[in-house]
Amino acid sequence: MASAALRVPPADAFRSSRSALSSILAPVALLALWQLACLSGLFPPQVLVPPSEVAHTLLELARSGELERHIGESMFRLAAGFTIGALAGLAFGATIALSRLAEAALSPFFLALWQVPVIAFVPMLVIFLGIDEPFKIAIVALAAFFPVALATFDGVRGVPKTWFDVARVYRTRLPDLIWRILVPATIPSVLTGLRVALTRAWVVLIAAELLAADSGIGQMMEMGRQLFRIDVVLAGVVVSGLIGFALDWGARAIERRAMRWRMA
Amino acid sequence: MIAEARPRPVPESTAAAKGALSISDLDKSFTIGGVSRPVLEAIDLHVEPGEFVSIVGASGCGKSTLLRLIVGLDDEYSGEIRLDGERVATTSLDRGIVFQDHRLFPWMTLEQNIELALLNTDTPQARRAQIVADHIALVNLKGFEQAYPHQLSGGMAQRAAIARALVTEPKLLLLDEPLGALDALTRVHVQNELQRIWMTQRSTMIMVTHDVEEALYLGDRVVVMAPSPGRIRRIVDVDLPHPRDRGAPLLHKLKDEILAELTASPVEPGNLVRLPGREER
Amino acid sequence: MTAALSRRGARIAIGLVVPALFLSWWQWQATAGDARSLAFAPLHSIGSAFVELVESGSLFSDMVSTLSRSLTGLAIGGTLGIAIGVAMAVWRPLDRMLGPLLHAIRQVPLIGWLPLIGLWFGTGQGSELIVVSISAFFPTLLNSYAGVTNVEPRYLDVGRIYGFTPLQRFRLILLPAAMPLILTGLTQGLAFAWIASIATEILLGVGGGLGVTMQVAQTQQRLDVILVAIIATAILGFVINQLFLRLRRHLLRWQAAPL
Repeated sequence: MASAALRVPPADAFRSSRSALSSILAPVALLALWQLACLSGLFPPQVLVPPSEVAHTLLELARSGELERHIGESMFRLAAGFTIGALAGLAFGATIALSRLAEAALSPFFLALWQVPVIAFVPMLVIFLGIDEPFKIAIVALAAFFPVALATFDGVRGVPKTWFDVARVYRTRLPDLIWRILVPATIPSVLTGLRVALTRAWVVLIAAELLAADSGIGQMMEMGRQLFRIDVVLAGVVVSGLIGFALDWGARAIERRAMRWRMA
Repeated sequence: MIAEARPRPVPESTAAAKGALSISDLDKSFTIGGVSRPVLEAIDLHVEPGEFVSIVGASGCGKSTLLRLIVGLDDEYSGEIRLDGERVATTSLDRGIVFQDHRLFPWMTLEQNIELALLNTDTPQARRAQIVADHIALVNLKGFEQAYPHQLSGGMAQRAAIARALVTEPKLLLLDEPLGALDALTRVHVQNELQRIWMTQRSTMIMVTHDVEEALYLGDRVVVMAPSPGRIRRIVDVDLPHPRDRGAPLLHKLKDEILAELTASPVEPGNLVRLPGREER
Repeated sequence: MTAALSRRGARIAIGLVVPALFLSWWQWQATAGDARSLAFAPLHSIGSAFVELVESGSLFSDMVSTLSRSLTGLAIGGTLGIAIGVAMAVWRPLDRMLGPLLHAIRQVPLIGWLPLIGLWFGTGQGSELIVVSISAFFPTLLNSYAGVTNVEPRYLDVGRIYGFTPLQRFRLILLPAAMPLILTGLTQGLAFAWIASIATEILLGVGGGLGVTMQVAQTQQRLDVILVAIIATAILGFVINQLFLRLRRHLLRWQAAPL
């Protein structure tokens, strides 16, 4: 089921959003509209607060160091979980791509697990690991694992078989085989997988923090919701959106750099 | 661009009433990166009704552009293109075209593909099925009415495209390298088919091809074009009766001549030489 | 070795080794008798939990709940997505108006909107359905848009030659040509809707469904129930996806190779 979700349409999907001007104009117009709607008293403060207030809250949180703390916690969990999950995914994907035996043995179980949305593992993991850091890092790792494993599998399988034959003729040793042949050939696929995994991991982390945490952006939003502090919730939305955007943009930039390298 | 569903009546004074094409002093250029590049220059061509004219030339001599202008897919040109005296400005069911890629709609069956050509005609609905069936039989595709294009071979799909182009009974049929995508054996077969269909229908046909042999085999006249910008180098009469014999010595002689010309150095414009070819007995 | 693997029976046998090993390890953990085994549920208890859930009817009603939530959300979000995507592709002014806006909104992960939606619409089933609909909206929107804008001009040429009216052009060329991508969008939308369904059920815990059951079971420390729910999720998700792919193949039977 999650297979179809792996292919994400490009960021600049619409013809109109390709010009830099219109990309900025619309959000700005939206913000202006939002501000005006709130100032006109159309919405009670429980429903919507003006962007100016959200900005104010953000500044407050930043000044008190609270924002920094939340972001720091979230980023730490993301980094730890993503690293573990991505490395495991790379190893797993490469293994089942290279060894028919490994594929026959491992892929049925893998594919069965993959049918389950990652978030469905949350209750189970909470029972095993509680609601502290290990749980959050584990769920992030799980979220990162599957896309990376699949992309690595695709990438390695996509390497033309003739290259392996040539390597065997020249009796290439395994380390050389990996570094000089496999890695360059699989980089595009793997990088795409890593990017998708990063986005997924971020989303899953926020979800996990919404559920059960004592710090982090998600928890900040949930606290805001419980206290009916919609400005805090919106501040969280803005921050999570910006970070998510930055992660995606950064990953795409790295992808582009690596592709350019390859072409040359 | 709204296409005309039906041709307006032709003035009495025009000599030919069914499919006489007249191109005078046609110029066409494309603007690429702010620079105007001429594609066609000083094209003069008159085609009699019922004639089969082949156009040959190397890549870049504007053959396809010329066809697009005649069929009305492109309307920016200077000069005159007239069908039976009427200026060509847009597409019309008067003028049909067969492309190199058959362009059948993949999501429709063969029958549906051909029938859609009749969609905007005033042919009565009751008669349409019969007309479609007749044309499927004409191109020898009986039995494949319910097939999807991906189930047809290249040659069959191209024949279907020809049927679709003919079903509106156009005055003028244009063929843009129709056999270019087919393998050599299929090509010979479809050439024969094309000749047979033309002899049956006697519509005016203009065919662009890069295959000189094909051009000579099918055409009453062969227009030889030179590239950059596209000009008519010369027009060769092929005075042989139909159906043609591929082994006719005249065909080989003309082929050698034209090939020699096409691979020779560029010629000054306006150097139009008409070389009638008559079979020597 | 490779030859042995190509025999179907051998492949199935090998494929069962790892799950079998896993289950054995699981059972060993569960019956080890130390503190950790409190977390693990022995295999027989999973079996009995399954029986329990089936007999009470709750497993079936959960599956129906989650399924109907996903499909309803897909219907709402998907219809909107296709309609707007196609409209934007056909009318440039609409594209100019909505494009950058939708592009900006898309940047925020859906999960970020959940607390907000919770505040606005309460934490009931309504909010869940809204989130599921939104998650189905974007993939269908983007794919439908791409489908129509990528219609090959050469087919449009044919339409011009035969004097197609704009309506004919839309009905006979644009829509069928875009259908593969539109269906891809719906398939992705289904996947997202399914995931969103489970996610909102876990996060909001209302309205019945496999996710709700999992969440409740977690508070009761009933791992056996959770596992039954997870297995049911996997199987149901797989079946729905397969059915969808069948439907897709039938609608696109004019294509040369299955997509």
